[in-house]
Amino acid sequence: MNSNRNERKGGVLTEVLALKNITKDYPGVKALDDVSISFEEGEVHALIGENGAGKSTFIKTISGAIKPTSGTIAYEGKEYPYLEPKQAIDMGIAVVYQELIQFEAMSVADNIFMGVESESKGLVVNEKERCEKAKALLAKFDCDVNPATLIRELSIANRQIIELAKAMVRNAKIVIMDEPTAAITVSEQEKLYQVVKQLKADGVTVIYISHRLEELFEICDRVSVLRDGQYVTTVNIEDIDKQDMIKYMVGRELSNAYPPKEPAQSEVVLEVENLSGNGVEGINFQLHKGEILGFAGLVGAGRTELMHLIFGNAKKTSGIIKVKGKEVHLSSANDGMKAGIGLIPEDRKFQGCFIDKPIFWNISISDIDHLTKGGVVDQKAEMKLAEDYKERLKIKTPFLKQLTSGLSGGNQQKVVIAKVLASNPDILIFDEPTRGIDIGARHEIYLLMNELAESGKSILMVSSDMEELLGMSERIIVLHEGHQAGEISKAEFSQERVLSFASGI
Amino acid sequence: MEKANKKSIGEILVDLSLPILLVALVIFFSIMTDKFFTPLNLTNILVQNVHVAVCSCAVMIIMISGGCDLSIGYQMSVAAVLVCKMMTVYGVPVPVALLCAVVLCSLLGTFNGFMAQKLKSNTMIVTLGTMAIFQGISYLISESKTYHNLPKSYMFLGQSKVFGVIPVNVIIMIVIVVIVGFVMGKTAIGRKVYAAGDNPEAGRLAGLNVAKIKVLSFTVAGVLVGISAILLSARSGSADSSTGVGIEFTGITACVLSGVALKGGEGTLWKVIVAVFVLGILANGMQLINLGTYPQYIAKGVIMLVSLYMTNKNSKAM
Repeated sequence: MNSNRNERKGGVLTEVLALKNITKDYPGVKALDDVSISFEEGEVHALIGENGAGKSTFIKTISGAIKPTSGTIAYEGKEYPYLEPKQAIDMGIAVVYQELIQFEAMSVADNIFMGVESESKGLVVNEKERCEKAKALLAKFDCDVNPATLIRELSIANRQIIELAKAMVRNAKIVIMDEPTAAITVSEQEKLYQVVKQLKADGVTVIYISHRLEELFEICDRVSVLRDGQYVTTVNIEDIDKQDMIKYMVGRELSNAYPPKEPAQSEVVLEVENLSGNGVEGINFQLHKGEILGFAGLVGAGRTELMHLIFGNAKKTSGIIKVKGKEVHLSSANDGMKAGIGLIPEDRKFQGCFIDKPIFWNISISDIDHLTKGGVVDQKAEMKLAEDYKERLKIKTPFLKQLTSGLSGGNQQKVVIAKVLASNPDILIFDEPTRGIDIGARHEIYLLMNELAESGKSILMVSSDMEELLGMSERIIVLHEGHQAGEISKAEFSQERVLSFASGI
Repeated sequence: MEKANKKSIGEILVDLSLPILLVALVIFFSIMTDKFFTPLNLTNILVQNVHVAVCSCAVMIIMISGGCDLSIGYQMSVAAVLVCKMMTVYGVPVPVALLCAVVLCSLLGTFNGFMAQKLKSNTMIVTLGTMAIFQGISYLISESKTYHNLPKSYMFLGQSKVFGVIPVNVIIMIVIVVIVGFVMGKTAIGRKVYAAGDNPEAGRLAGLNVAKIKVLSFTVAGVLVGISAILLSARSGSADSSTGVGIEFTGITACVLSGVALKGGEGTLWKVIVAVFVLGILANGMQLINLGTYPQYIAKGVIMLVSLYMTNKNSKAM
């Protein structure tokens, strides 16, 4: 490990937590293999790696959710073979999970103080006093949420801040944040960074997990990289750039993050005129054959809503949708599919596929009526269809009868794409095509999208990943609060331009 | 890491746990009493559970579609008193009365499904409400009377035997089970019912008319409930408003025992039928060794909890 780390930035830093030679065996796989990382007081330490690299196993070891097979955890000078969850909390370790576990129907103050013993003396809760305490606590983070508000009424970013306040009440010395910015808007990100900086100033150690590599440069001091359960390196943030981070994560250089694609043809396949409904208003655009048209906007700008409107899954209030020059009236997803439109939804697990069903079952379901003889499913035809798509999309699985839940995120997404392609659409809508998918598998999805476009399909793509949007699209339409804020052609692509339209400037 | 598709020994055992349990019960009761393993008693067990098996098919279809129907017992009650009153009081021809019972139950089922969709509410709560309605209707029709002296051709369905050996109602049950098993397992519509129950949102986005599929599941289940009511009243030779009441719990128990998922989308018919007979043998055997009704309740409950434990343990181990 890095021997001169204590001299970083001149100050003398003390190690507060160190995991030494941690190994975690699961049947048939080493989730962690002899990993040693140490954390210093008051640092923001990023932990990066592809999905499956062992990040979550690593966090769970610290929070006491799992017991490592071997290795030790050193905390404030003492060594432990493992931690119990309660022990970890008492020692001042707090985790803010990506999927927040909160009391949705209870107030902010309730959530902050729940289970804190000094607050539950006596039978009667002094609501007023608690609210004031909570308010003071939140003021420190520049958060002016009313402590009496119910948690479910808050934005994700504010809910995360509540979670951090909760950690502070429990005197947390180490706070682990698991992809805090995955689901929040740009302006909220800034707010969250401020809170992280405040925690750091208070001497709290923050372990920060994120797939958004750019943000690490803004808030982190050091970065540790895991790959396939093994420790790769720890470096100071000023000594590394993004390219190197990716290299460490994937173990090779990704030669071409966004593969090149043949330009679109001139034929117009989809026309949207003055379309309104489902929270969007006055949308106008044309989609050409073989084109990838990107849709940008902040969370809540109405991108997904617009896609569902075009797909027929939501009712339009006015406007015209024309497919290949003919006006269509869509009142259900089924209508959309009949008109030749396919949707790959943003939420793979809850909208995209039947996660507890086999792969072949998922692929055939949207075309099941055509795979029958007199109403009876033709199993041979069904398996052949699934086999074809497995080959074509390179779905990595030994058996088509395997449950979809057993696949990696990238392969699950391919199953969803296969399911949509099986109904043979000409227009494909990809809503957040690579969310939660690791870098290697992303590349395959990009190649696939290009291949589809080059074979004559036309694609609408919604993405919150700005680089992906700029890298893959040939044109970008930016939405702002349900309105079309602007259209940008490839020659004018830049993050700044997209962002200024998206923020309504 | 990707999970291999081969089943572990543990999974295979769980798969076969019900047949094993059935055989174990048969052996146990055969040892305990010589009255159990006789042709007469075994035929009795079959005949007495025919209507339960048909009704459990209905429960299974509804549960796979993601619903739950608590009103099935009173649907049966309505159908049974209606068909028997029509025949005995008004002298309606048997085939017409049969048709009326089946059509009526399919309408009641459709009403359940339709209300659940319209109210956008949990089917369990909706059918808790309709259960009370059906109960009222049943007592209005029956006027709290019991209907005896049913026509011979009607009783034929419940009490006679083909070639003097095979009970007619058992044949009817087998035909129904085969049809339901085929439709749910092999046809496109069966596949859609599973999809609608497993993940309605994904189903809708895959172009399925999920609302229609769910209502239709209730309709089909209603048809089966109507048939079940006929089989029960034809066997017992009478009907009143308590006919069939409570059968939904036996049906749900059999379904849960066999691994039909409460959240929908999962369930295998042959296992449900085996579970019905596990419960049937348990009741019959305990009676024969002179354990009364109350210990039977306890045994049913224990088996249910043990089976939940087994399923849970196995799904966690994966």
